[in-house]
Amino acid sequence: MNISLFKALGIIDCCVFKRLDADHYETLYAEHEWIDLLLPQARQEKSFTSPCDSPFLDDFLMQAEEFWEYADYGKIESGIWNEKINDQELKLNAYATMDNGDFYLIIDNVLDLFKQRQKTLQSARELLLSNDKIVAQQEYIHQRLDELLNQSTTLKNIQQPITEVIEKTEVGVAILSPNLQPISQNPALYSVFDTQLAQAETEPYQLILQLFEKQYPEFERVISTGSRWSGELFWLQPPGNGKWLKLAIYPVKTDFQQITHWVFIVNDISQVKHLLQNNEKLTHYDALTDIPNRQYFWMQLEQSVNNAMPFYLLYLDIKNFKRINEIHGHSRGDQIIQELVERIAPHISASDMLARIGGGEFAIIRQKTVTEQQCIDLGHILIETATQPFYLPNGTHCEIGLNIGAASFPRDADDAETLMKFADLAVFNAKKATKSSVQFYSQKLKDASQRIIELENALQNAITNHEFELFLQPMLDLTTGTILKAEALLRWNRLDTEKIGPDEFIPIAEQTGLIVPIGKWVISKACEMISTLNHRGQNCKLSVNLSPRQISDRHLLDFIRTSIKNNHIQPDQLELELTEGVLVDNYDKVQFLLTEVRKLGVSVSIDDFGTGYSSLSYLKKLPIDHIKIDRSFIQDLVNDENDKAIILAIIAMAHSLKLNVIAEGVETELQRNFLQLNHCNLAQGYLFSRPLPFAQFCDYLTTTANQTLIGQSALGPK
Amino acid sequence: MIQKKICLLGASGVGKTSLIKQFVEGIFSDKYLTSIGVKIDKKRVECQSDSVQLMLWDIEGIDRYCGFQPKYIRGAAAIIIVVDHTRSQSLIEGIEIFKLARDVSDVPAILAINKADLDSTWHWGEDELAELSHPFSHTFHTSAKSGANVELLFSTLAQKLLSEAEQ
Repeated sequence: MNISLFKALGIIDCCVFKRLDADHYETLYAEHEWIDLLLPQARQEKSFTSPCDSPFLDDFLMQAEEFWEYADYGKIESGIWNEKINDQELKLNAYATMDNGDFYLIIDNVLDLFKQRQKTLQSARELLLSNDKIVAQQEYIHQRLDELLNQSTTLKNIQQPITEVIEKTEVGVAILSPNLQPISQNPALYSVFDTQLAQAETEPYQLILQLFEKQYPEFERVISTGSRWSGELFWLQPPGNGKWLKLAIYPVKTDFQQITHWVFIVNDISQVKHLLQNNEKLTHYDALTDIPNRQYFWMQLEQSVNNAMPFYLLYLDIKNFKRINEIHGHSRGDQIIQELVERIAPHISASDMLARIGGGEFAIIRQKTVTEQQCIDLGHILIETATQPFYLPNGTHCEIGLNIGAASFPRDADDAETLMKFADLAVFNAKKATKSSVQFYSQKLKDASQRIIELENALQNAITNHEFELFLQPMLDLTTGTILKAEALLRWNRLDTEKIGPDEFIPIAEQTGLIVPIGKWVISKACEMISTLNHRGQNCKLSVNLSPRQISDRHLLDFIRTSIKNNHIQPDQLELELTEGVLVDNYDKVQFLLTEVRKLGVSVSIDDFGTGYSSLSYLKKLPIDHIKIDRSFIQDLVNDENDKAIILAIIAMAHSLKLNVIAEGVETELQRNFLQLNHCNLAQGYLFSRPLPFAQFCDYLTTTANQTLIGQSALGPK
Repeated sequence: MIQKKICLLGASGVGKTSLIKQFVEGIFSDKYLTSIGVKIDKKRVECQSDSVQLMLWDIEGIDRYCGFQPKYIRGAAAIIIVVDHTRSQSLIEGIEIFKLARDVSDVPAILAINKADLDSTWHWGEDELAELSHPFSHTFHTSAKSGANVELLFSTLAQKLLSEAEQ
């Protein structure tokens, strides 16, 4: 280490020591007086032992000793620490390093760096705290109001408690009816708009709606689909300078997803904006990712429209980003966003623009003349990039999905607002798919979107209109041929005219949350059917499917208990079916639920086994009784050696874990023979029976029971 | 007298520095000044059988600007996770920090729910809070401003560490 260089430079505010042996150092460079406070002996003696009064330095030296002993190269750093000695404050940073077999300790006086860092972080953290506080206030008010508004549907009953919640809060709150008529607006909301209750020419809620509609193309979609939304509005009322407002919109819905109220929560964030605007970079760039923000993006989008050259707009939305934040915490969410941008950015050419336009939302303007196919290809590359696992510092990993919507200028729209609206609609449609996908705006998409909205509305009334029906598909013991149980499958006869397939309506029910009441109806109906079968002397277990949303419903367990009790059936006559995906995504909740249902006596099957995740550890850890081999393996088993091998492996593994195996989608004798020969326990499929309405299922049970009896008597006495 | 290292951890702005300042110097300032790096304060706590010198490591708030540093936990006899009950996010982050700390150390952990002088604006009910605070050996609702439960927090901790040392 060239100490003369330090001396020649003279400007470096540090001290350098060479380690002679444990706790014994030689002073190489210690020109600065501050070191006398920390290590008084360092400048008095050529070499010294390190007794010092700094617990932090002591702690670091212990780490340094380990480093010098075990590491081969490099350095370690203590991080900044504050030292107060004799009323003097030092801001220091220490390094332990090695060079050609010699070990060095460097202590750096970082006062300037400390001041600079504190100045930067002071305002950054003030912003962070203000933002956190606003979000917390909005969430809190929303939570309280949601509880109240859900308790009672009559206005009279809720007026008093609502007044208590919103009258004294500093946050502006408006409660509106489903058709956006005012029910309640608090004094703070009038203050936000510099007016008073009696004087308002235009009511605050009207101003909010006007600003939202004018400034955000999402307005129509948010209102028509009853979605949550949050964002910033700018309200200009000359001669004033205008105000920046943070608006959060929450629809309050019943279990059947009918909107009972809208809650609008407004905070004045002008001061936060003012802090941001002092720094031009912060005004146009997102602080977290350092890419253009929403404001800058809009400027560029309008500029691109003015240039009148064709371009594409891609709208990227991280799947379930809110859930990622809830599970892993916001700081992890931030890290994922940062890493995602690092992954995406290299795929964006210099002439294109990538911007962060919302929490988990990004937009890309593709300026160059490219084809739609090239945009789709880019979308797929981005999805593939995004879906690689994100490794978290705590050793776990997390996977995300990406929905991409796209619109073309001028083909789809010739103004920025409409273009954005169409890209938003396309991404909204892409969200409906379970997997990440790219959707281009088209008339067909618009029609499909309308169809979904129509089905959503119809689904809300399907239970009360008695439009659902449970079909039952038997599962047979492959050795004895007896029916041991049946799977309950939901059918929707819409208005008795149109039969909607489960493939179409289940995803909508899942997306909207309607799956929770529908799932309860299924459980309740299945228990009722078991009871009827018991009365008819036809004992048969029924299995019902559980969706991811149902798992998150904290009332599910109680509901299962009550349904069993009310129908006077035995818990072991009911079975729950879950897919592998549900297990992996909600492991903690699933573990709790399955343990509790096992205590009750209800059995559990894993559906579609083999199509999802490769992690099998859950099979050992969770209380599972059966696994159902997915129909895709059964379909080709006669011709496909790989499928045969997979089935044999599944059966062997399941049996070694003492689990029963059920084969789904059995349609031919050859399939049945193969499964029987290889000790698969049960089978289900068209070979035995299609899913049947309840009455026909009862008949089928009777017929099969008679046939079994005849078969047994034909064998004669043993 | 025994000496013990205690690390205060939490999101930024929850009041770690203020808690220590209240405990060590008995003063409080409403002005928020962000901490940079680490600052160590000492205070001797008299217990029934002996006294304990607490070395209080005030560690910069963990957020997007400053990550969790496992090296600071080394040698700690206990950790205090500080959260702010006016910001629900700080509890989520506090629990996350606790999990990270648990990966490197299994010393006793105390949850300090700070700013008790202000109205709570988080949505966790008592049951949920009880579940979240289950892995902590103690939970205190503190106010660095009024001093409520601050002395109790540190004296309980000192007594616990002393009892452990005596065993």
